[in-house]
Amino acid sequence: MTGGQLSELKEGMALPEIIKTITQRNINLYAEASRDFNPVHINEEFARKTGLDGTIAHGMLILAYVSEMMTAAFNKRWLTGGSLNVRFKAPARPGETITVSGKITKIEKVSGQTIINCSVLCANEKGEQIITGEAVLTVPET
Amino acid sequence: MAETYSQLEAGYEFPPGNFVLDASRVSLFLEAVQDTSYPYRESRLIPPMAVAALAMSTLSNTISLPPGSIHVSQELGFVAAVSQDDTLTSYAKISRAQKRGKLHLISVDINVRNQDQQTVLTGKTSFILPQPDGDK
Repeated sequence: MTGGQLSELKEGMALPEIIKTITQRNINLYAEASRDFNPVHINEEFARKTGLDGTIAHGMLILAYVSEMMTAAFNKRWLTGGSLNVRFKAPARPGETITVSGKITKIEKVSGQTIINCSVLCANEKGEQIITGEAVLTVPET
Repeated sequence: MAETYSQLEAGYEFPPGNFVLDASRVSLFLEAVQDTSYPYRESRLIPPMAVAALAMSTLSNTISLPPGSIHVSQELGFVAAVSQDDTLTSYAKISRAQKRGKLHLISVDINVRNQDQQTVLTGKTSFILPQPDGDK
């Protein structure tokens, strides 16, 4: 599915999967864009001193992949009626390939609105969960 | 005023932070997250996650999170579209500050409004803070 009509959506339908490989360059760019220069993201030596195996990506960087998947699924409707509720389960590291997936779990009509509930998951190539949670799109009836 | 996150208590309000996302910052954000979605390439719309990221950065202008902090959960609500050069103001308030054993949990509620005072984004971000040295 990619931005189709709401009437075509069905519970159990998969959201368009997104696969991305994280690089340290992406993390450095994200630090600049977000002004989040926490050294665990951009300083290898510092990150190792904190007990990590190296730098880790910003959690919000990975969450942006989820938002991209939702935009691919629901177009601009996501920008004015989307919501996310997620847990960061494990850090994502440079070199890892993250697969973002999801599916529609429930479609309800409440008070003149269509509410589309989705489960979302980001996992690395080892199958480790990086982000889990829910995404909800609320669309007013037209 | 508190100097560290571990001194913050529920109800503490961060000073409002103003920011503008211009074309160059949006472009930087999209390159960082490898997003080529058409809504942002073909219009002046801003990715809502860029708004969220900048809103959170206004918190660290007041007090930096200590090294070792863990971002454990995030809620976000995208209420209204944001365009390039909109002037945004982020309001943030500690909604939870709890010590459980050696863990210090902090949740911050965020509300971002545009120049017309319309809410464009809401959120709740939660962190576990490392144990302050004095508490060890």
